[in-house]
Amino acid sequence: MIRHHPNTDLLTDYTVGSLSLAPTISVTTHLKFCDQCRDSVHSLKQLGGALLSDAEPETVSGDLLSQTLAKLDVESVTQSSAVDALADAQSTKCDDELKGIPNYLNKFLPRNGLSWRKLSSSVTVAPISVGETQYELALHKICAGGKTPVHDHHGVEYTVVLKGSFSDEDGMYHEGDFVVREPGDVHRPFATQHEDCICLSVLEAPIKLKGLGRVLNPFMKFQPS
Amino acid sequence: MVKMAKRPQQRTTMALIEGQDWNALLQRVGSHQDKDAFSALFAHFAPLLKGFLMKGSNLEPEQAEELVQETMIKVWRKAPSYSPAQAAASTWMYTIARNTRIDWLRKHAKISQQTDELVAEELFDENEESSPFTSLIQTRNSKNIKDHLGELPQEQLQVLTLMYFQGKSGQEVADELSIPLGTVKSRVRLALQKLKLKLSPNGEGTEAYAQ
Ligand SMILES: [Zn+2]
Repeated sequence: MIRHHPNTDLLTDYTVGSLSLAPTISVTTHLKFCDQCRDSVHSLKQLGGALLSDAEPETVSGDLLSQTLAKLDVESVTQSSAVDALADAQSTKCDDELKGIPNYLNKFLPRNGLSWRKLSSSVTVAPISVGETQYELALHKICAGGKTPVHDHHGVEYTVVLKGSFSDEDGMYHEGDFVVREPGDVHRPFATQHEDCICLSVLEAPIKLKGLGRVLNPFMKFQPS
Repeated sequence: MVKMAKRPQQRTTMALIEGQDWNALLQRVGSHQDKDAFSALFAHFAPLLKGFLMKGSNLEPEQAEELVQETMIKVWRKAPSYSPAQAAASTWMYTIARNTRIDWLRKHAKISQQTDELVAEELFDENEESSPFTSLIQTRNSKNIKDHLGELPQEQLQVLTLMYFQGKSGQEVADELSIPLGTVKSRVRLALQKLKLKLSPNGEGTEAYAQ
């Protein structure tokens, strides 16, 4: 059973689309494991639907409907199949050890496989580049019984357990659990004895550009030109 | 035979339009590529979408209409996968509008090549089976929202509006209103409580909730 979930603040930011790329991926990954949070997100979207229905209408141009109808004839239904094909092609190449992780993640993995590198005797990491600068997205693997070095955080860290389990001073985390570590938290996670633990982690980049950071990383932002 | 079958269907579309049954109209768009049903949805939702997108934002009216059009084209394309058991038409429309805006903003912000491949629909990946409780929760939520949305204090509604209409994060809303992030969070939570939205009792969330 999943015990650790994103809190309501994070789910709200997620639902309205204000989280940037990597944190969004981590929450969606948790939702693959968690019916409860999926229902919560649906509830928050219902509120979005209600606010939309209650919005003050703005008259649209008289020919917008006819223009739109004209485009429907040109549009075909083939659009989404290309994306599916891409995801399928990628999923066949994923590492054996990643069997059992949500298929959803396959589309973000590098096409020529992950490159794992050693962080310490028992921890390996495989970065996933999604073109985001504010957060680092990566898979972490802790060998069965392995301990990670004690570390603290300069930025917030979101972790989703994909396989196996790990513990730290505060508790034990199983498949699907969503763990948040705030800046300043010091902890030393270790994997359980009998099984490797694989996690998806999102770490706020250590270099903080105060004031500029948000402007420089407008993944979901926009300053109209 | 074909003619016989077509007549009652047209009447039904008319009846649905008169009854403003958006869920059923959306379904009809999906099952019959029914342009009358689509036009009725457009007449209702396009002005709402435009108002929703423009409120407080710095979008030009033409940009907002471009987004409305993109949203409605996606509605047409995705309608065959719409199921009223999984979402109300308004919830479904909101989700498509949100994804359309995210992609549009990213396209216009000219981010690196790599992220251009990822579209919001893939990030959120919502073509999911719902849980056994979903439709029960939905029915209760929609009644509660209808009953209590009008009762929200202005300051709570304002925060929700900024977040939902403009896609702003709690932090951005705090910056915009020059109030502490904690105040934004508590307004959102109070509003969600008042609306009696069914949210899961979150492990870490409940701790934060008590603070
Ligand atoms: Zn959850």
